[in-house]
Amino acid sequence: MAASNEYRFQVNLSGMIQILSNHLYSSPKVFLRELMQNATDAITARSEAEPGFQGEVRVELTGTGEQLTMMVEDNGIGLTEADIHEFLAMIGQSSKRGQQALLDGETSFIGRFGIGLLSCFMVSNEIVMLTQSAKGGPSMEWRGKPDGTYTIRQLETQLSPGTKVYLRCTPDAAHYFEPEYVKEALFYYGALLPYPVTLQSGGVQDIVNAESPVWLTHPELAKGRKAEVLAFGGRLLGETFEDFIPLTTASGRTGGIAFVLPHAVNLNAKRSHRVYLKRMLISEKAENILPDWAFFVKCLIWTDELQPTASREHFYENEQLEEVRSELGDALRQGLSDMAENQTERLKKLIRLHALSMKALAVQDQGFYAMIYRWLPFESTRGHRELGELMDEGETLYFTTTVDEYRQIHHVASAQSLLVINGGYIYDNELMATLPLAVQGVHTERLQPDQVSLSFTDVPPAERNDYYDALRLADSALQRFRCRAEVKGFKPKDLPVLFTLSQESSTLRALEKASEESTELFSSVLGSLSAGISSAGYSTLYLNVNNPIIQRVLTTPDPQMTPIAIEMLYVNALMMGHYAMNRQELEVLNQGIVRFIDWGLRANTDRKGDA
Amino acid sequence: MNTEMDFEDLMDEAYGLPNGTAKLGMLEEAARVADVNGMEEEAYEARSEIVETATFCGYPMKALIAFSWQLGKFDQQPERYDEETLMWSYKWILGELSSFPEVSRDKMMELLEDFGRRFKSFGYSERSYWYYRFRIFMDLGDLEEAGNSYAKFRTMDRDFMSDCEACEQDEIMRYWILVGDDEKVLEEAKPILKGRMSCAEIPHLTLSEVLMPLYRLGRIEEADKHQQKGYRMIKGQNDFVQSFAEQMDYLARTNPSKGIDVLEETLVMAFDHEDPFAKMMFYARAAQLLRRWADESPGYRLRLPASFPYEGDPGDLLALADYFAEYAKAAAEKYDQRNGNHHVSTLLAGV
Repeated sequence: MAASNEYRFQVNLSGMIQILSNHLYSSPKVFLRELMQNATDAITARSEAEPGFQGEVRVELTGTGEQLTMMVEDNGIGLTEADIHEFLAMIGQSSKRGQQALLDGETSFIGRFGIGLLSCFMVSNEIVMLTQSAKGGPSMEWRGKPDGTYTIRQLETQLSPGTKVYLRCTPDAAHYFEPEYVKEALFYYGALLPYPVTLQSGGVQDIVNAESPVWLTHPELAKGRKAEVLAFGGRLLGETFEDFIPLTTASGRTGGIAFVLPHAVNLNAKRSHRVYLKRMLISEKAENILPDWAFFVKCLIWTDELQPTASREHFYENEQLEEVRSELGDALRQGLSDMAENQTERLKKLIRLHALSMKALAVQDQGFYAMIYRWLPFESTRGHRELGELMDEGETLYFTTTVDEYRQIHHVASAQSLLVINGGYIYDNELMATLPLAVQGVHTERLQPDQVSLSFTDVPPAERNDYYDALRLADSALQRFRCRAEVKGFKPKDLPVLFTLSQESSTLRALEKASEESTELFSSVLGSLSAGISSAGYSTLYLNVNNPIIQRVLTTPDPQMTPIAIEMLYVNALMMGHYAMNRQELEVLNQGIVRFIDWGLRANTDRKGDA
Repeated sequence: MNTEMDFEDLMDEAYGLPNGTAKLGMLEEAARVADVNGMEEEAYEARSEIVETATFCGYPMKALIAFSWQLGKFDQQPERYDEETLMWSYKWILGELSSFPEVSRDKMMELLEDFGRRFKSFGYSERSYWYYRFRIFMDLGDLEEAGNSYAKFRTMDRDFMSDCEACEQDEIMRYWILVGDDEKVLEEAKPILKGRMSCAEIPHLTLSEVLMPLYRLGRIEEADKHQQKGYRMIKGQNDFVQSFAEQMDYLARTNPSKGIDVLEETLVMAFDHEDPFAKMMFYARAAQLLRRWADESPGYRLRLPASFPYEGDPGDLLALADYFAEYAKAAAEKYDQRNGNHHVSTLLAGV
């Protein structure tokens, strides 16, 4: 037996492991990823030296209980004694590269090896590594303990080139050593590896990853293998998909498959794309690799051109990432464009599920908008409809910019059969505003609540003359609310009044409300601002001449009753429109109710008195 | 329908949306629901969000209104609300104030003092006060006072309530733009352009601001690079209307056809903008650009947004240019009157 020499790490290893497990990695399970990464790096290095070399990774589970052991073997380049010292000792060597630099550094073979191996201490109290360098020299054994000691010795027998790592599991890590778990995890991390990964356990040997799919190197071929791609995505991403779009970048160094999510998603849903760096899983929740609008897909992406962060779970936000993101976005967009041209049914189905995502993209990209506008859904006075259907009516498409405005006018507008679209939902008013730019021959127009009056019927001058006194009383009652009354005829007739507010008067209401609550200084600032808009800031209370109650108000003016009735109709209209009322208005409401109760009771008593 | 949603739903949905008018609408709806139902703390929370969203998507008036309401509530019951967030918002309000010509110079000074007094009372560094004083005097075109405040704020300690280094650096650079020292502008821009300082809005703003100084120094190649990168960063965001103006200013001289692209893509954001200063600058640069483009490509029909209120022929570029120029000049006059100098109309010289 050869001499055994003892060496020491130059860092507090248990502290290091603490840091790794608590701060760097999201979970101890990454030890398997790190081992796979080391194996992959070793195989890559050997293939570079020996073209045509066929790599292989073998994992074996043996023993039970305290003897439960995992062995991970690769037939890669292996380590010489000098390599071992360099890779393992450099963890503590701040002189060579700073500690942070070591963590941040590129995924070079050497820089990562030691760190990766250390992560195994999260699940094992002893790591044994047997290795034989392809460059020759004796086979070596390395044994490391979490207290920071390790031994190296030369073996007497000569192993074939490659590295075997043995881990004996700690009691609380046993679930990471269960065969089913290990098998899934190996697939999860290594599904895209271009050589077999096998798992042997309980006398059974399984190839974990099927033969590397051809569409990994040529995503455009994925189209012809739909069932296979969907099944692969389903297994890897845990959802049943029905559709996908292949992704490629110009350099060919990044590619992927965008699986269309089979269910609608919220705009604020977490984007969780799965990304493989040099064919090894690096992140299952990469959020920044696709443009924001791409929230309708879950992607498998493989790349060899991006730089991972220290934890290797995300990418650095740099120009290269920006470039890749925009190219992947273009590929996705192109896929949708192709559908718009050749497979409209497929696209329609996609839009029905992911309208919000499609709208987000259409807002940013007029060309895309022009391609898909027909199928985008909108809420309108003709119901929830696709834009194409609404356009086929051949009318001006009026739209509001807020839900509030839409609410103010939709019942009147629909009674008059005006086609109005609710632009209050996200993206909708931008889309309406830019529709004529994207599509020839469409006319859209923003409709403000005070413009609905355009479709009211005028009351003939003679008749209006009859209402003169009542209107004067109404105007003077409403003046303190910066509102005026107007008589019009409109449908529906059971709507007595309609309150409308221009943008200016809306701002003014908000100014006044804030002014009431604010400090003296800010109130006076708001005051100077409102002085700038007050001339234009009158709101209008339309009295519906077709309504029987309004008829009575108009035809029997009474200096005492009319102002109160008008005031009550005004605050009622505010309530119906869900406007927040200021103090003055609230007071009117309170007093008015009390008065009407009083009158009602008195009239009742009087009548009884008459009887 | 959305109108039936309750406060929590509205806020949840709003939190998930990107900054923009849709989010703002959702928040306003939430504030309204809270007001109508007398939920004061909720109303306060919604307004905090309104202030932030409105500040960064072109609605400074809405921000000011919501903030005024908050400050009043805070003063009534300071123990009920968090002062840090509110005081941070105060900085945004101060930063936007000068854009409203209706707010007099005296009022601005009173607000600045109120701000300073409040910061002091909470034990924050006076750096913020002097920094905002620096900014306000720049806005007022009083470069001497601005210079004094600059000298002062630089010597003071930064604390967690200070604007970030990148933002401060950008304002310092703006000072040298106003002074007219192009070499100095580029010197101060260096840490930003080299990527040593950045934040959510920097270098976005900076990349457009350095275009004209570079142009005047004949460093066109550099300027072109910054122009492309800068436009890519701000494209489609109406928080950057003034930057679009700077882009057009530069492109009118170097590549008017590209300038027209910028104009057509951004006009819809500018004309709906609530900050009258940014809008004025945009209109002024649009006018200059259109005149230049009319020489080069007569008869071109500018694509105007559907709701744009211009009644004339969009193919008559000179008439359209006049329309923009008149709007800008009328606005500049209001500022000059308020400021008591010709600072703003000087910015528009040649429009």
